[in-house]
Amino acid sequence: MDVFLFHLMPYPELPENFDDYETSWLTYPRKHFDARKGQQLYKEYLDQLVYAEELGFDGVSVNEHHQTTYGMMPCPDVMAALIVRETKRMTIAIIGNALPLRGHPLRVAEEIAVLDCVSGGRIISGFVRGIGVEYFTFGSDPTRSRERFNEAHDLIIKAWTELEPFEWISKNYRFRYVNVWPRCFQEPHPPIWVPGFGSPETFDWVAKHRYTFMSVYAPTQLQKSWLDGVRAAANRYGYDADPSQLGALFPIHVADTNAEAHAAAEQHISWLFKKGLKHKLEYLYPPGYMSMGGMRAAMTSGLRPFSEYTYQELVDEGFVIAGSPESVREQLLEAQGTLGFGTLATLLQFGDMPNDRARASMELFAQDVMPALKAAAVVAA
Amino acid sequence: MQRTVDHTSEQLAVRGIQVNLFRGGSGRPLLFLHGAGGAGVWLPFHGLLAQRFDVLAPDHPGFGLSGELEHIESLDDLVYHYLALLEQLGIDEVDVVGTSLGGWLAAELAVHSPRLVRRLVLLNAVGLDIWEAPVKDLFGMSPEETVAALFADPATAASLFPAEPDLDFIMGLYREKISFARLAWNPYCCNPKLESRLYRVTAKTLVVWGDEDFLVPVVHGERYAERIADARLVTMPGVAHAPFLEDAEATAKLIVDFLEA
Repeated sequence: MDVFLFHLMPYPELPENFDDYETSWLTYPRKHFDARKGQQLYKEYLDQLVYAEELGFDGVSVNEHHQTTYGMMPCPDVMAALIVRETKRMTIAIIGNALPLRGHPLRVAEEIAVLDCVSGGRIISGFVRGIGVEYFTFGSDPTRSRERFNEAHDLIIKAWTELEPFEWISKNYRFRYVNVWPRCFQEPHPPIWVPGFGSPETFDWVAKHRYTFMSVYAPTQLQKSWLDGVRAAANRYGYDADPSQLGALFPIHVADTNAEAHAAAEQHISWLFKKGLKHKLEYLYPPGYMSMGGMRAAMTSGLRPFSEYTYQELVDEGFVIAGSPESVREQLLEAQGTLGFGTLATLLQFGDMPNDRARASMELFAQDVMPALKAAAVVAA
Repeated sequence: MQRTVDHTSEQLAVRGIQVNLFRGGSGRPLLFLHGAGGAGVWLPFHGLLAQRFDVLAPDHPGFGLSGELEHIESLDDLVYHYLALLEQLGIDEVDVVGTSLGGWLAAELAVHSPRLVRRLVLLNAVGLDIWEAPVKDLFGMSPEETVAALFADPATAASLFPAEPDLDFIMGLYREKISFARLAWNPYCCNPKLESRLYRVTAKTLVVWGDEDFLVPVVHGERYAERIADARLVTMPGVAHAPFLEDAEATAKLIVDFLEA
């Protein structure tokens, strides 16, 4: 099993009147960001990511979100660049660049190629659509999101693969001279990962291209239905999805005892789900971002707004894994058996978890949990 | 005196798109173009107009009982759709009444084919790009905020929506929202070039505006009346964005008087 340290880089300080705001995204005013505090957080978070190499993680993951206290990473390629030069061995997974939100896909092709070249081939390139609310952020048309995503992807892959200049004409993108310098270090380009949230279109697309699907945090049974969706789609394309093609993400907290771990996890996960993920539904689901089928599936999935889950429900349904090293080990091995993933993304700093607690949890995880995961046989579900 | 006018609902194929057309009354043809909401139903307002005119109230592709948008990707595509529909029905001169999104469409139709439009009525029409007073963002509004923005009296909404909408009803609204977004997401609810093209409209024009329209400020109505050569603006007190729903009788009377004068 490959184990990654995933980070969101939240900005946890909230004003006393935070509850007056309908969301912590899009319209949550930037006056609540203190740049000095921000500088300190960036240092702590980047140091945690770099520390992951020393602790033996296979890699780290950065991501892209905009106009929110949920995460301070609007520019994932810049984040990756900050890590690349401070590390030597581990992989940096950018999951991912939100293609339909970018004005120019060739800028993504160039940035990833630079990172891959500089790092000597340590980049994983994730492609995402961005979440619904981000279509309000950029005025990007949600009804053309998938079409722009598909075209941008096809263009970037061709730009990384073709060795001679070519002309590109598609509905949304027209370029007469495509000739991306530098070339990627990995031939012909970095592996592609695609996080997903249950769209049948995504399962099919990932399976068709044989990319790695990463689920995002959700109840274990729902994650299972997504991974099953990818496996079924792979079968339709005539192959069995290998566990290495399937990834799962969990917020994880490890402490010396179960009681200690749960007390801390409850506090910080509450920030993540009730503050960081405080969404206004109309912003989260702009029309057309989800297809009619995707929307119908979402509305009948039984998934409630994150903020409505109690901590006990989050634990019982497998959203969150917390406990002593022994307990976390067992829970993760059980989840692996149920879900059949071969890549594990661990969110070890979440919500308003302070630096020392996050590092202590990372250390316990690396010393007392990770070796068992790596030693265990990866089981296909 | 009120009398009920029968109406029909017929299915047409317009360049491969299935269109539901409500039609009732007799006299000169009147094309009613609905807004982002309000499709799929023959309204009391239609009935009032049908007492004097041959009222044609089609559902736009992607709305109501019509088929999907298919090759229609923008408002000018929709203009060509209606040119084809009118041609198919053998109508070469028509009074056009459009509300909100349909008002924008009506204005574009009159810009494109001035001689096709005998008289033009715009009800709280979007379409103009007024930087200092843009149309409020309907897409970001909750259902409660939407009702408050559309109607001066929230009770108007109660007659339009079931108290406990089922999944199919919600999916129907979602489908229309997708169609609306496809036509009007960005630039939002406007064609930046429309204002400079309104000189082409030759039809005598009535611009009607609810003076409590929070969504599309009345400056949009003033601008339409200013830029169209033969136009006047009438504001309706105590009415917000949907005069034809909020005060159907008064709105129909304004329109009938204007079209028959």
